[in-house]
Amino acid sequence: MRKLVLLICAACLASAASAQLPGLRRYTPADRRQEQQPVLQGIDALRADFAAQAGGTTVYFGSESTILAPQARMMLATQAAWLRRHPEVVVRIEGYGDSGDTRDHALAVGAQRAEEARDYLMLLGIPSAQLSITSWGKERPGLGRAVTILVR
Amino acid sequence: MKLHLLPFVLIGIAAAANAQPGTPAATVIAVPPLTSPDGGTRGNQMLAVGWDATQLIVADLRQTAEVMPLTPKRDDYYSYPEVTAPSFQKWRSAGAKALVTGFVQSRSDGRLTVGCYVYDVDKGRELARKGFVIGPNDWRRAAHKCSGLAYTAITGAPGMFDTQIAYVAESGIGDGRMRRVALMDSDGYNHHYITAGDAMVLTPRLSPKASQLAYVSFAGDRPSVRVMDLSSSQERPLLPVDAITFAPRYSPDGSRIVFSMLNGANTDIYVVGAAGGLPQRLTTSPGIDTDPSFSPDGSRIVFESDRSGSQQLYVMNADGTGQRRISFGGGWYAAPQWSPDGQWIAYTRRGSDGRRIGILKTDGTAEKLLTTGPTDEGPSWAASSREILFQRVGPTGRSGLYRVGLDASEPRQMTIPQDGSDPDWSGVRD
Repeated sequence: MRKLVLLICAACLASAASAQLPGLRRYTPADRRQEQQPVLQGIDALRADFAAQAGGTTVYFGSESTILAPQARMMLATQAAWLRRHPEVVVRIEGYGDSGDTRDHALAVGAQRAEEARDYLMLLGIPSAQLSITSWGKERPGLGRAVTILVR
Repeated sequence: MKLHLLPFVLIGIAAAANAQPGTPAATVIAVPPLTSPDGGTRGNQMLAVGWDATQLIVADLRQTAEVMPLTPKRDDYYSYPEVTAPSFQKWRSAGAKALVTGFVQSRSDGRLTVGCYVYDVDKGRELARKGFVIGPNDWRRAAHKCSGLAYTAITGAPGMFDTQIAYVAESGIGDGRMRRVALMDSDGYNHHYITAGDAMVLTPRLSPKASQLAYVSFAGDRPSVRVMDLSSSQERPLLPVDAITFAPRYSPDGSRIVFSMLNGANTDIYVVGAAGGLPQRLTTSPGIDTDPSFSPDGSRIVFESDRSGSQQLYVMNADGTGQRRISFGGGWYAAPQWSPDGQWIAYTRRGSDGRRIGILKTDGTAEKLLTTGPTDEGPSWAASSREILFQRVGPTGRSGLYRVGLDASEPRQMTIPQDGSDPDWSGVRD
């Protein structure tokens, strides 16, 4: 589990570094020689910190299910703890449907999954102004899930 | 672009000829080359347009299960007076039961007059006639209208030739796959893109006369319905509020749009004026109510709900009262659409054998699966109510548009430039 978390963090840092935002530069072999980490600023630094501290950005649902499993609740609880420390941050929870579903029902299921995650975060004291939701239905591949994305 | 009907349209009569709907034998129809009253060079030009139109009429009718056109021969040109007084003996001996005649005439304003006549060959009497004044480049639409006149005279069903198809054109792979709303004539001509591809789009739905379009856009990373006037390309959000909305469909008169809106964790069905106004909520049950579709008289709505624990089909009155379940066949039922003749509801059924397209009567009886799946969805009726367009992901993982008849014969793939999904077939245009 710890290994997985580390891997996810590494992936977050790598992907954040490759985004060419002001104040960022690409991770080059020269950096590796100097054993320096790229400097993350602004939203990217927050995203990396959120993913590391919350143990991940994604909660998974069973097939055809919109019910938060105990593992998902634990993940959201750690997300909530981080969000309480960063009340200035606004997040969007993106829900995904199941690939075998029909298009519009999948869209609704994705929205419902995102809504369940938001409701749980609100139950844990996160103000609704900090939370928004969307759904990608079955339009992006992968398992049924809800992903918390920092938007600002 | 509108076709202008000539005054003599008003005397057009549609009568059932020999074929009874549902009989397997197709009615043979003769379509000799359209003639012209014009002389000289102009006359030759009109005859050339007439020959192109004749071949298009034959191609239109050949697509149908009910009508079988004879191959047209250039030798069969007839004189202008014979348009309204044809000799029938020749076509009787060729085995034809019906005959199409017509003409193309140039006008002083540069436009063309196209006349079209349909006859019962055995009885030797006229079944229907129509005339159009068109721009010189609109001869295809006039030919489609003529095909529709013949098809309706023979089968009693609306001809679906002068219709359009909207769908989502897909290119690229993964999350970066570009999706644009595309629009084309139902024979594949006049293909063009309606949206730019900067935002993902889903479920384009044409208004009944194909003058307006409602679709779901993910602009702003949130799905919401937008409506567009196709002649001006002006568009706006369906609702002025920031809400998750999807699954739009026009009412049969084009004045209203039914759609789904997220309401907390609940998805309900609403209706709103196509030109704006306050949305009215039609369903309140916990769970997901979506994919609403009006009956052709606008009095009822079929929709999908998982209120019983699984997706099933329900019918309600257009004001939301009288909701009752109509699907009980096992499996999950989704994405219903009411047929234009009011007789059937098409749906996507999800089961252990994947997703398949089926039909059932509006009271839930006479259920029949039309396709074998396993990755079919999104049925959309032809204006004739005799055919259904749907989306199928093929064995190579590519998504295409297919047509299937109500006899469940092998579906035929439509030719489109890229992959396609979410097809929507319009009603007959004005």
